[in-house]
Amino acid sequence: MEPIGIFILATICQFYSCAQNVSDSVERMQYASVAGEEYLEGEKIDTNLDDKVYFDFDKSTLDADDKNLLEQYLPEIRKAKIVRLVGHCDERGTREYNLALGERRALEVRDFLIIKGVSGKKIRVVSFGEERPIKNASNEKAWAENRRVEISLY
Amino acid sequence: MKRSLIVLILASSNIFSLLEIEIIKGSDNLSKVAFIPFGIEESVNENYGEQISTLIEKNMLLFGEFENLKKAEMLSFPDSEEDFYYRDWKIMGVDYSVIGKINSVNALGNLNISYSLFNINRRIKILEGEIVGRENNIEGIAKIISNRIYEKITGLKGIFDTKLAYIVNSDAETYQMCISDIDGKNEQILFTSSAPIMSPDWSPDRKKIAYVSFENGLAEIFIQDLASGERESIQALGMTNSAPVWSPDGKSLALVVSFSGNPDIFSYSINNKRLVRLTNHYGIDTEPSWSPDSKKIIFTSDRSGSPQLYEINTQSKRKKRLTRDGNYNARGRYFPDGKSIFFVHGNDGNFQIATKKLSSRFIETLTSTSLDESPTISPNGNIIIYATKDGSKGYLGGITLDGKSRFSLPVKNGSVREPAWSPLFN
Repeated sequence: MEPIGIFILATICQFYSCAQNVSDSVERMQYASVAGEEYLEGEKIDTNLDDKVYFDFDKSTLDADDKNLLEQYLPEIRKAKIVRLVGHCDERGTREYNLALGERRALEVRDFLIIKGVSGKKIRVVSFGEERPIKNASNEKAWAENRRVEISLY
Repeated sequence: MKRSLIVLILASSNIFSLLEIEIIKGSDNLSKVAFIPFGIEESVNENYGEQISTLIEKNMLLFGEFENLKKAEMLSFPDSEEDFYYRDWKIMGVDYSVIGKINSVNALGNLNISYSLFNINRRIKILEGEIVGRENNIEGIAKIISNRIYEKITGLKGIFDTKLAYIVNSDAETYQMCISDIDGKNEQILFTSSAPIMSPDWSPDRKKIAYVSFENGLAEIFIQDLASGERESIQALGMTNSAPVWSPDGKSLALVVSFSGNPDIFSYSINNKRLVRLTNHYGIDTEPSWSPDSKKIIFTSDRSGSPQLYEINTQSKRKKRLTRDGNYNARGRYFPDGKSIFFVHGNDGNFQIATKKLSSRFIETLTSTSLDESPTISPNGNIIIYATKDGSKGYLGGITLDGKSRFSLPVKNGSVREPAWSPLFN
């Protein structure tokens, strides 16, 4: 129990230090380069690993399975020049709130990767909220698949 | 309770017209109105008389707020007060009768039209008017007359010349920002993109629409001028910009800027592009909207652990929590009188449109489907249109707040969502 508690604390600390150390204008420059996949330098790297982590409704926390998956991914992530994290939500609730929630999910993955030693500079974060579902259906299964962060490497 | 399905398919001259209003449930004690074919003077095209009364009738019946006396049941067709007998209408159970006459058409194509509205139960004429309008704008003339009749009967502003903005998703890769007249006619596609479009909002003068587009890969706010079609990114700072809403004076947008993934509410001055921070919290703050007097902004925040509604005084920056019941209350908007709010209320996994008086704790749920969102209110405060879903297909639903009617606005192709009702035309 205790190591998890420490881990969560570390995540929160990391989140705050990130948020406060970077000035707004630098952020703008960094994220302006997110503009569409076509602007990303280099080819998308194909890996045989699952490239999605999933979330509970209205939640952005990573569970043990998600962390395991990301751990497996780490060697590939370390090799990549750019890591693109795209947050998504299911259709329930309001669209603008979901846009923010998708961003929060992608940031949760970013913060985990940073803790694991991945440079924050090569991570790009974007949210599509509920606008880009994988399954366009209104049931628990579709919702669970749609609440995700997609990881792509370049 | 009477449950009838009356389908009003609106005659449309525009083949692109997408929305059609279908009345789902009308009340069984609606006021009955007789729309008597207008008389015509000799020089006038004889079709105009019935055309204009039919247009007025369609407007008045649009949202299921009234019922009509069919033409075949009318005992007489008076076009002047001298020929009007209350007993002919009383006997048919009519509450109000509309008569009128097209008096003349001049060389420039201007029609001179007079009209009257009678309260049959009180046996008095309650409205009399005259209007001059162009022959080729007979629909526009009918809207003005309909507005006056509606206002006289209900005490509420008529809304027949308002418009609706909405997003159409015709297939997975095509997003369209559209506007149409409130009856679904004259649809215009303002912008088409292969990336999502979100959150349309009308400027108070109805000349511009602000919305979010992902065309450059991330959420970005654009302002589009309706007359010229020109669109401009506001390029506020930060990682993502979203949820724009115009201030009542049209000079600012309340919007959400996310710096380093922390979305907060800002006020953005359109002229000098200045950004003023209104909230500063590590939780999600989003979905701002101004109070009608501009003094407050309502917003959604998950600072308590679940999305709830708050309002902030734009001067003192003092915040107040507005909702406590349920674990999901989001995207609040004020009623035009500023005394109540409407929003999306999550309850047992259902997301429905609800209202709440600011002075009371009690939340009233208005809708009964389970994926309702993006409610927008008519400028007279009497009708809410919202987005909902049937299977994977999005459509718009509507409800009158007096409980008289429920209706839906399905589209012929694809899914429609995020309705935004225009302000009144000034």
